Amino acid sequence: MSNQVIDLLQKLRQSAIKRGLQTFISYHEEDSFLMRFANSAISLNTNEHLISLDFIAFDGRKKVSYSMITDPSDFESMEKGLDTLAEMLPHAQALSYDPTFPVYEKDVLDERAFDPALAALTNEERLAYFNTLAEGLESDDVKLSGIFSSGTTTTAQISTANEHSQTFRSTDAQITAVLSSESLKWEVNAEQSAQKKSDLDAEGLHADLALLVKHYQEDQSVQLPVGKYTVVLGPAATAELINIMAYYGMTGGALMQGYSFLKEEDQGKHLFSEKINLLDDPRKVEIYAQNADSYGLERKPFPLIAEGRFQAFMWDQDSADEFGKTPTGHDVSHASLVMDGGEKSVATLKDLLEKDREEDLLYVPYIHYMNVVNPTQGMVTGSSRFGALFLKKDGSVQVPYNVRLTQKFSDFFGERVQWLSKEQVAYNVSSSYGRRNPTALKVPRFICVKEIEISHSNPSY
Amino acid sequence: MREKIKQQIDRLKAKGAHYVDARWYPREDSNFLFMWNGNLKENNASSQSGMGVRVLYNGAWGFSASSDLTNPNAIFDRAFDNARIASERVTFPIRLAEKEAVVDSFTSPNQIDPFTIGLDEKVAFLQKMDAALNQPGVVQRFGMLEFVRKQIIFLDSEGSEIEKNIIEVFPSIHAMGIDKDGGMQRRKYQPGRTGATRGWESINETDFLANAERIVSELNQVLVADDAPNGKMSVILLNGIMFLQTHETIGHALELDRILGYELSFAGGSFVRLEDFGKLRYGSEKLTARANALEPNSPGSFGFDDDGVPAQDNLLIDKGILVGAITGRQMVEEANAKAKKQIFDGSSGANRATSFYRVPIERMTNINIDPGTDGSLEDIIANTKYGLVLDGDKSWSIGSNREQFHFACDIGWLVEDGQKKQVVKNPTYRGETLPFYNSLTAVGDESTWNVHYVENCGKGAPNQIMQLGHGVPVCRFDNVQVGE
Repeated sequence: MSNQVIDLLQKLRQSAIKRGLQTFISYHEEDSFLMRFANSAISLNTNEHLISLDFIAFDGRKKVSYSMITDPSDFESMEKGLDTLAEMLPHAQALSYDPTFPVYEKDVLDERAFDPALAALTNEERLAYFNTLAEGLESDDVKLSGIFSSGTTTTAQISTANEHSQTFRSTDAQITAVLSSESLKWEVNAEQSAQKKSDLDAEGLHADLALLVKHYQEDQSVQLPVGKYTVVLGPAATAELINIMAYYGMTGGALMQGYSFLKEEDQGKHLFSEKINLLDDPRKVEIYAQNADSYGLERKPFPLIAEGRFQAFMWDQDSADEFGKTPTGHDVSHASLVMDGGEKSVATLKDLLEKDREEDLLYVPYIHYMNVVNPTQGMVTGSSRFGALFLKKDGSVQVPYNVRLTQKFSDFFGERVQWLSKEQVAYNVSSSYGRRNPTALKVPRFICVKEIEISHSNPSY
Repeated sequence: MREKIKQQIDRLKAKGAHYVDARWYPREDSNFLFMWNGNLKENNASSQSGMGVRVLYNGAWGFSASSDLTNPNAIFDRAFDNARIASERVTFPIRLAEKEAVVDSFTSPNQIDPFTIGLDEKVAFLQKMDAALNQPGVVQRFGMLEFVRKQIIFLDSEGSEIEKNIIEVFPSIHAMGIDKDGGMQRRKYQPGRTGATRGWESINETDFLANAERIVSELNQVLVADDAPNGKMSVILLNGIMFLQTHETIGHALELDRILGYELSFAGGSFVRLEDFGKLRYGSEKLTARANALEPNSPGSFGFDDDGVPAQDNLLIDKGILVGAITGRQMVEEANAKAKKQIFDGSSGANRATSFYRVPIERMTNINIDPGTDGSLEDIIANTKYGLVLDGDKSWSIGSNREQFHFACDIGWLVEDGQKKQVVKNPTYRGETLPFYNSLTAVGDESTWNVHYVENCGKGAPNQIMQLGHGVPVCRFDNVQVGE
């Protein structure tokens, strides 16, 4: 596979050189499979095999690009793409800064995140997985929905500067299973992120779903009064919050564009709870890390928050070029963010439910439709979904209707943090908009935060 | 290629497929230019080609797509095999609503193909816009031009053969500044779509320059403004936020696949139930909404959907009562069967895919609100005791069943005793969908109505980005929670 890809890139490189183009060439191939469930049936079973090429031509401060989804045997179309690039380049406007042209100093082949067994997963295995996780839980009223998305992603880069190239290959799977009541409209879910076939654990998801369904069927439902609560975030809620916080707050581009809630002088300042450590860690294969960025910079562990102190902004090459900064190896399609666990052992939802508690806890596993209300304040809003529980101090459990949280990042990860679970999980945040780009974060299974405000509470499911 | 596709469709029919269709994109071109603070950061051309095949077998869908067309048989075989496996877990065997076989074509109305315009001219337009925005108070500015030209060949096993040639242009300008409290504020402009065509000619430089002046002026007012008040009050929504209110709480809520639970694992469901059609009071009598895929100059108008059903203009909400939904061939059959009555007469022609490599799903077309009889914006303001005029889609977050929402806007104007007063910053409002639309007390006339395009509506798994439109008037809602 890799040889074919490199051969194609070398051939394209020669074509670019023949045309006198200083060109960066990038390859993306996905073999994607998605089995989708709704109303307890397979509502769609699909696969896509797509090959994409990106060319970026440079001429001093001028830069133009051409992208294509193409037939791999249609070299003529690829060359036409290079011709188009050559036609565009003289008409481009020069940038006000010198853009860096990628020069690779060595060949890179990173297939640490590729698992042949996951790549070869069959339709029958995907169906069997879902049949196992839902076994005995469906009824005339309770229906199964979900997705089993898996695939292989191959990316490669070369430039006309020399013959060195980079190739990365990974496998990934993202499973979301939802059980919902058709009559009452409640919904609970269980999710899994996998990088290799042996990560798949249908029985584990079955146990999570069975526990939640039991509570949703047997416990009292309640409209919580608006106000402040001690909230326990599940991994989906935590991962989405961190992902948005890092994107909006911790990139050099966001800083310079004025969108970050952090300022340059905040580096080194104690802005978060001392319990919070956040690292971009390219060693973590289970969250699809790669060891070099697309400019050939070696990716190294990059601390973002250390014991509550904000450490540094992530600089991609273009932002670094424009604003005179040093790039930090962040020209990647996804970072590999890891939030350390804490000292409290709470490995499962069952553990959380069974632990003694000194106060009422609102368990929010998932925040639906999170969006940034005010980027410079770091304020986000979203609604609870998929299995929230209200754990009463007296040991009883209620099922809350969905609530809206509108809070700042500093509210979630600042001094109000009470504890983080020792146990971490990989949570998949991949979006299948556009090209396959497996993305996951490793986060504590639970984070407990005091005084989180609920601004709206639904009167029913 | 068309003959090859027909042969493959016949082959799968002979193998037992109930229905087969193929969408072949011989070529889709796009061109994207993005100028940020005078720097042409993106100057991208792109192309794609490939084919997607959908097979219905024993009541289940299979789909396969590839950019590799060297062996079309393989794509058809994979789609058939995917359907065969899917048929092992069927609870309601898929049926498709009847339709006439269509042999036809659709070409979007254009005078000037934007791909015939030289790069120099496009860059010059962005440079003019950049210069117009580069004024005191503006710390960040950008302009975008996006052009799409696609050819789609649709063939199905029922004898339909449709060719679509569609051109879209998506221009916009944005200005940002830092307010007196250190917060980033912005205003933006994208032109309405009430013209007759949608080619390069729809980008009017004079109009853009005038609107550049307007948004810079409004931005500078926001930069020195106080925060919006909190509390219950009237909100008067201009087109730049009313389109999004309509999109999120009427459009998505009335997609029939969401109502039937097909989006529960991702985008969410809908508070609407099948028994609500014809009965539910969705809003006040002033609310009439429709799905009109016949607006000439909107990306929500496409001639035929990806089931091969002709575009239509259908009522969704008639004087406040829910009467229709956004539908395709599969969902109307299932809804009628589950309701045990005929709610829907047939597909409303709204099943669309974003590209050859995605499967069609129910998508909004042009989800419009009819103009009302409450006069101009000035008339509505004059009849408002206390509230805010709001514009700009700064942020949005909606409950998973579209039952409640929270919006933040770019700008607000205080209204007191029928007078439009000072600008306020950081306005937000929230509410529950049905009480909100039932508090609709004024709907502006034709002078307030405009079609707003949306180029980035996300839905589905695998995810799809879709382009569509919303023709909306200025609307006033009373007793709305503002702030917090």
